[in-house]
Amino acid sequence: MAIANTVAVLNAMQADGVIGRYAIAGAVAAYNYIEPTLTEDLDVLVAFNDPPQRKVTGLVTLEPIFSFLAGQGYARLEGEGVIIEGWRVQFLPAANALDEEALASADEIALAHGDVGTVRMRILRPEHLVANCLLVDRLKDQVRIMQFLTEDAVNTEALCGVLARHGKWGEYCAKMRIRNPCDRAHA
Amino acid sequence: MSRKRETIYPDISDILEEKAGIRRRLQKRSFQEKVEAMEALRERLRPLKEARERRKAARDNTKG
Repeated sequence: MAIANTVAVLNAMQADGVIGRYAIAGAVAAYNYIEPTLTEDLDVLVAFNDPPQRKVTGLVTLEPIFSFLAGQGYARLEGEGVIIEGWRVQFLPAANALDEEALASADEIALAHGDVGTVRMRILRPEHLVANCLLVDRLKDQVRIMQFLTEDAVNTEALCGVLARHGKWGEYCAKMRIRNPCDRAHA
Repeated sequence: MSRKRETIYPDISDILEEKAGIRRRLQKRSFQEKVEAMEALRERLRPLKEARERRKAARDNTKG
């Protein structure tokens, strides 16, 4: 399973201090909860271990990630991502309070790796995936939110808690002409 | 006559119900099973993707 090899590389990056805590985001994370859709990208939400350049400029550079990966033989860039064991990996630095909360509360799962081993990986929780879709708000994000709702794949109370802190839920429900489930949760 | 009134033609409700069942079964699979299925699907679709990229490149060259 190729993705287990990719995750093993991510875990090595974390062990070496290249990245801090990370969690799988985007469509692949959604696989953990809803009907899968085809994707080329593995989105990885990452925190950094207080990089020195951030203190000076307030900006985060991904250069240390790409240098490390190039040193491991993963130098092929494609679009905004880098190819690691067959997956185009996009590193998304934690950029706001929603990302920080999502990283802190991500679930951990194990994947079979090789003949007998496993690798552990963290995956964003469904309520944070929905909140992030709401923030990004492309057509496919709107569809994914509907999938989470119609497939009953998100805990409404937890979702409403996250959205109360980070979301524009009322606007989305009005746009999609659906009843706001948070109204029902709080009724 | 009455049969004609009851049936909306073409009636595809059974097909839609079957598809919904497939989606429910897909959703219930484990993360690992879903990723494996998508990786296999990606491989099967690779020739189509490459053909699409070739067509796009040819179109872009024509425009340029």
